[in-house]
Amino acid sequence: MSDNRGMTRRKAMGLGVAAVGSVAAYDILAGPARALAITGPGTTAGIGYFARFGVTEKLIQGTLGEALSSGGDFADVFFQHQVANTYLLEDGAVNRAFADVSLGVGVRVVKGDQTGYGFTEDLTPEGLRLASKTAAAIATGPSRPAPVSFHATGGLPARYAVKTRWEDVRPETKLPLLRSVNEKTMGADPRVRKVRVYFVDESGAMLLADSNGQIVEDLQPMTIMGLTCIAEQDGKREENAYNVAARDDISYYSQERIDRVVRECVKNTMILFEATPAPAGEMPVVLAAGSSGILLHEAIGHGMEADFNRKNVSIYSDKIGKLIAKPFVNIVDEGTQENARGAINVDDEGTVAGKTMLVQDGVLTTYLHDKISAKHYGVSPTGNGRRESYQYAPMPRMRSTYMLPGPHKKDEIIASVKKGIYCTRFTNGQVQIGAGDFTFYVKNGFLIEDGKLTRPIKDVNIIGNGPKVLELVDMVSDDLAIDEGGWTCGKNGQSVPVSQGLPTVRVASITVGGSTGKS
Amino acid sequence: MSTNQTDIREIARAAMKSALAKGAKESAATVGRTRNVSLEWRDGKIEKIGEATTRRLTLQLYVDGRYSQVSSSDLRPEALDTFIADSITMTRVLAEDPFRALPEPALYEGRPSVDLQLDDPAYPTVTPEQRRKAAQQMEEAARAVKGASAILSVSTGFDDTRTESFHVASNGFEGSRVDTVFFVSASVSVKDADGRRPEDSSFGGSRFLGEVPATAVVGREAAERAISRLGARKPPSAVMTLVIDNRAAGRLMGALAGPLSGASLQQKRSFLEGKLGQPIGSPLLDVVDDPLIPKAFGSRLFDVEGLAAKKRPVFEKGVLRSYYIDTYYGKKLKMAPTSGGVSNLAWTLGTRPQAAILKDVGEGILVTGFLGGNSNGTTGDYSFGVQGFRIRGGERAEPVGEMNVAGNMLELLKKLTAVGDDPWPYSAMRTPTLVFEGVQFAGV
Repeated sequence: MSDNRGMTRRKAMGLGVAAVGSVAAYDILAGPARALAITGPGTTAGIGYFARFGVTEKLIQGTLGEALSSGGDFADVFFQHQVANTYLLEDGAVNRAFADVSLGVGVRVVKGDQTGYGFTEDLTPEGLRLASKTAAAIATGPSRPAPVSFHATGGLPARYAVKTRWEDVRPETKLPLLRSVNEKTMGADPRVRKVRVYFVDESGAMLLADSNGQIVEDLQPMTIMGLTCIAEQDGKREENAYNVAARDDISYYSQERIDRVVRECVKNTMILFEATPAPAGEMPVVLAAGSSGILLHEAIGHGMEADFNRKNVSIYSDKIGKLIAKPFVNIVDEGTQENARGAINVDDEGTVAGKTMLVQDGVLTTYLHDKISAKHYGVSPTGNGRRESYQYAPMPRMRSTYMLPGPHKKDEIIASVKKGIYCTRFTNGQVQIGAGDFTFYVKNGFLIEDGKLTRPIKDVNIIGNGPKVLELVDMVSDDLAIDEGGWTCGKNGQSVPVSQGLPTVRVASITVGGSTGKS
Repeated sequence: MSTNQTDIREIARAAMKSALAKGAKESAATVGRTRNVSLEWRDGKIEKIGEATTRRLTLQLYVDGRYSQVSSSDLRPEALDTFIADSITMTRVLAEDPFRALPEPALYEGRPSVDLQLDDPAYPTVTPEQRRKAAQQMEEAARAVKGASAILSVSTGFDDTRTESFHVASNGFEGSRVDTVFFVSASVSVKDADGRRPEDSSFGGSRFLGEVPATAVVGREAAERAISRLGARKPPSAVMTLVIDNRAAGRLMGALAGPLSGASLQQKRSFLEGKLGQPIGSPLLDVVDDPLIPKAFGSRLFDVEGLAAKKRPVFEKGVLRSYYIDTYYGKKLKMAPTSGGVSNLAWTLGTRPQAAILKDVGEGILVTGFLGGNSNGTTGDYSFGVQGFRIRGGERAEPVGEMNVAGNMLELLKKLTAVGDDPWPYSAMRTPTLVFEGVQFAGV
């Protein structure tokens, strides 16, 4: 599942709901640091950031020792510190803020493909011992020794090197950004009635240590800015939204980017007044370059996550090595794009994230693996073991999923359709892993009539079956674009940030869930 | 663990006092502590066990006419002290907001004194063995059904949670709450002739361990539901009668929650704006927001702001009777606060079970699950992926899928022609089977 409401559930709940919340003061990071300064002897090369919380090699060794006390095959410990600030502009003023601090640790023990998991916010030796004991209960056997020495994972890529830390940016610097977006939006069109702008910055840090003696730390910044515009014309109202997200710092918000957010949001809202209801039934569908990557996320991405295949419940469970699409279809999942929302240096099991080909020349090639599924299949993990937070065990998840450019041209693709639709903006999608049925919701699009874009359409769900639709992808353009929006992927109750992209693509036939019969 | 109740009270009171001492004019604090234990079982053995106790403080700050809400899982006194001071500094740079205030204390009054029966004293007695056995029994029941040879995999789970929370506000509110939830679930994958692997599930829960749905029933139902999906086909596009199963129907009510909220009304993004007192649905749409149903999943004595719980009609014979208005948007809209969020929805039920309703309907589509889709709260337009069964000759017939329904909510609610006698008890929406005539389906 994927959606572009731009924020994780916890943060979204914080907006407008009284008791749950998020967002913090500019120097809140210093709070726990000042309070828990037990650094000094005992810390090692692999432990940098987390030394301030009293995390030492000895603490990790004791934790892993307890975790392996019932004979698990493997254990890891995941420390996380995350500080998020959200500012909200409504009715012309930045009149509320949310801050959230999360500090905790999760301990995992793996026995075969079985998992034991415990977590705690209590970073003392006793707190860690209790969490480890919980996790250890998955195994029943003689204890295994913890590593006696640890090594830091060196040579980590720097895909989102932190130049200015978010905790060093005062709110006085951020608030004018929201005000500027508001003013530009109000001024862009007299039909604009209401404007809502949110801004989120997040300083995340993780430390992963495991029973092989590995220690790895990564600092993972994130920011999102989103705009919602409500307009009125002839007594009718329409609403649309646009957001941008990246693992980046304040310099991400260039004048050009801010202007684009306003321009796209206003344009996509106003065109809704001209939109006619979408037709119902099977027809050719052309997907615009960019956020249409949601097609891949739902039609193939989730089904290629190896946990579903290891359990034999994915529609792709018996399709590796088989031709599933036209030879010009190549699909990638990777974590390497600099500053992308879906970029990671390492996954949450400590595996350096690279580039994974899901489909090469139309042939299904590789599943997305975490350590458990990689062991099951006897392959190397692909760096897809991700988790929402220390409260969850990792599982195979997507990062940035997209299709490589193909041999066709955008104009040629649109011109090829006699009667169909062209989809440009999306809000959310979902898939049934086993049956393969998936949907995605189109917020903006156009009818294609006799090879030309004609009337705008809006608010229509598209429903298809993954393998069938991939077979029906019969034209791929050369104009690949990775979407800049704040996509969040949900699976088994865990949300993680992802990116997606697509060149202009034609699907020869798929069901369009419109409200008017096919004319 | 119940003896720890005083502990969270102290943390909340201390945080609120600290906020006031550091310059907040008003403040409210909530501390929650949750213990969750989960067991997942798959194909004859444990897949995963998990257990943790987690705590979090949420603090609302009213500083110099400005407002923020902050939260932290780091509850050590010295860390909290710095956190609160920094949060107040941050709040001071925001714009003033004259509509921000704690609730009127009068609305705290009249808290019902009934026992909602949300907390099972037997919670601490659940053993790992009990959880394992329940999970195993569900798998055995699933594999015992007719047609079980199609089964590829069975996953089951037992999950229990105990949550304690305490809310305190500087204008005179204190309230605490303890609740328990026990949940069982089973999910079954089957192999179809064409290579598809449809999956379906059964699940349910209770506030009391002794009232958990029977594992034999949950396991059997999951397998029967999955097997019934075999051979599902995409039907032709057509306008037909839509019957929504009680379990699935909550999705529709979810699409109304946003447009009924004060925030949506004030932000001009609700298709229900200005419709109070007007008929918006058929007379069969008759729903009360009832926070006081014993043992129900949405029950409460006070809401998230501390407002005393009251029963309120939402739809009365199709007429819209109330919105969900919290203190802040109430002030902006000049409307009296009701409550900012849904508790339980109590439906005026029909007298007939689903099977009898299908007889009346004759021909149509029975929807048993939604897949994605969305609704536009500003205009009321919706478009949802659905799956289910054809209804032929008054009986549930062949399975259908890869299908969509679309239209406008205001039109749909007027087309409600029958309501079942079967509220789904495992969700606060408590929806019965619902029948709508003349709905656009998209398929082939």
